[in-house]
Amino acid sequence: VLVIIIVVAGIIVYAYYASTTPQSKLTVYALWSGTEEFNFKQVLGNFTANTGIDVSYFSQTTQDMLITVPQQLSAPPYDVDVIIVPWPNWIHDNAENLAPVTDLVTTSQFPTNIIQPVSADGTLWAAPFKLSGKPGFWYRPSFFEANGLSVPTTYDEFKNTLLPAIKAVPGVEAAIASGVDANGLGWPLSDVTEAWIIGRGGYQLQLDLETGPSVRNWTDSQVTSVFDELTGLLETPDYFSAPAEWTGQIGKLWSGAYGLFFEGNFVTAQPQVENKSDIDFFPFPETNGVSGSVDYTVLTKDAPHMDQAKQLIQYLASADAQEILVKQGGALATNTGVPASAYSASDKKVVDFMGKAGITIVPDLDDTIGGQWQTTFWDQLKLLWTDPSTATMNTVLNNLQAAAIEQQGT
Amino acid sequence: VIFVLYPIVDTVYVSFLSKDSGNFVGLENYNYVLFEKVNPLINTANILQGLFPMGALIHNLIWITIHLPVTILLGLAFAVLLRDVKGGTIVKAIVFLGIVVPLVIGGVLFRYVYDKDAGVVNAALRVVGLGAYAMDFTQFRQTALFSVILGSIWIWTGFAMIIYSAGLEGIPKEVYEAAEIDGTSRWRTFWRITVPMLRSTTLVVVTLTLLWELKIFDIVYVVTQGGPGGASSVLAFDMYSEAFQANNLGTGAAIAVIMTLMTFGVAAYLVNRMSKS
Repeated sequence: VLVIIIVVAGIIVYAYYASTTPQSKLTVYALWSGTEEFNFKQVLGNFTANTGIDVSYFSQTTQDMLITVPQQLSAPPYDVDVIIVPWPNWIHDNAENLAPVTDLVTTSQFPTNIIQPVSADGTLWAAPFKLSGKPGFWYRPSFFEANGLSVPTTYDEFKNTLLPAIKAVPGVEAAIASGVDANGLGWPLSDVTEAWIIGRGGYQLQLDLETGPSVRNWTDSQVTSVFDELTGLLETPDYFSAPAEWTGQIGKLWSGAYGLFFEGNFVTAQPQVENKSDIDFFPFPETNGVSGSVDYTVLTKDAPHMDQAKQLIQYLASADAQEILVKQGGALATNTGVPASAYSASDKKVVDFMGKAGITIVPDLDDTIGGQWQTTFWDQLKLLWTDPSTATMNTVLNNLQAAAIEQQGT
Repeated sequence: VIFVLYPIVDTVYVSFLSKDSGNFVGLENYNYVLFEKVNPLINTANILQGLFPMGALIHNLIWITIHLPVTILLGLAFAVLLRDVKGGTIVKAIVFLGIVVPLVIGGVLFRYVYDKDAGVVNAALRVVGLGAYAMDFTQFRQTALFSVILGSIWIWTGFAMIIYSAGLEGIPKEVYEAAEIDGTSRWRTFWRITVPMLRSTTLVVVTLTLLWELKIFDIVYVVTQGGPGGASSVLAFDMYSEAFQANNLGTGAAIAVIMTLMTFGVAAYLVNRMSKS
């Protein structure tokens, strides 16, 4: 008992001094873990080397970032100085607890459509950092070559030739891998769904859905038609796999259990991709757009190290910092000053595709709408994936419509 | 007054307010959460079809229907069977591990237990030749709720076992000796002596288990996030979701009030029974 009392007393004394002694390090929150965290820390390492300012990075889960962190921001004091999130909606919702970064960023260095979502009344609330494109279906060229498969040029070819051909390859569990995140959230399913919305309905349809029911309902015939097409494929045995943790699915893509995996360019940065020269993508056939999401850095209103945090925001928005990031693969820059030579071959291909004439970059659907609708979308897609039928599809679309009205109004 | 009365009164008050205007809206929030919201607490159409999601309130009732008898029977069985067995303490300690493990950690464990490729459940199916049925049971609407209930049985059985073990120690040995002298069979002894003399212990186990089941949250949050499509959601998760994800305190409070009424009703009845017994 005495030992326990001494230990507890020691912990209390330590905790007291730890809480009253200001930390000398900047604190940064973001959603990245694994390879993405490692790559980001290389950028932070360079910042520390240049400025002498130490930075601590803490990876947050999606749920923590959506719920716990905003609560933390509304009740200062706190430790966090800089937060990186991919949700403009989140940034606007929490603007009263953030400091503007208008004077820290030279907006002319970024495409207008990247700056606009985080601006309001001439105030910039976040600085663009990393861009992720969701360019198409990732595959192993060696797998295609070994099995006599070829990249489709039309949607009919994709649906009627490629998918049955992959399915027929011995050892293949399903033609297309389906992912969820480590906490069971269905955001990777939303990426592939957006590909169908843009690819089959056109980029304008996604933009309309982002605006909300005032412009487009989820129960409109054009939306239903897209989901009907997707549901038909989900119903076909072994075209789509059952959802499983997405990085594990990349491992299974690599081992030949799947032929395709639709995801963002960050796939190439994952350790499951054992040979970076044996990974390639083809765009959704006949698409006229591509979904892209930006990770933005925000400055907390009561940042414990305000001046150093401002330096970090400026640094992360710079071409130098973003060049370090993109050189490691799996990430694209938002700063137009980053040279094309910084990109790996596969990332360069993504950049070229996204900049191609006839391809319009549209903001990520669920990241843009955000809020409760976003988690409803992820959850409803899990339902569609695991019990695909016309009845389920109608339920899903009705629920998405109801959630959109609840959040965005009519 | 500060820590109990005020929060309760304020929650009830907030449950009658509109999210947007803050105006009094009567029972609108209750009607909304019970029948109108995406995945309402009672989804009549799906209940009639036997399809999940049936609504968080119904899911809680299903949870109670399965979890309560199973944990009580298993807890009692472990307590009685392992009472005088050599090595019984070690087995009891293993069963009790479930209650020692934090629910969040237990939830993470169960995500892997049900994993299609790495999970022990699907490995067992493959071993007995049922590999065709291997799937991640937490991802499908008709199995998600049952898979988390099964996980919670492992977690809670240790609790029931320990309380019953303590209860068994309270039964005088002379009663068993008398039964033995009379030549009463072990089965009859169990039903005529052990079970009746554990009546007050059973009331304690039932009360605490029911209250635990009504406020279950952690394991659902970690294993399924209430999905897919709300198929495994429960009252506490829906309350959290409404209040903190949708930022609608009025509807979140309405669910909290419904939960409190159910919990209070159950607790009042059982505590009354306990006092009488």
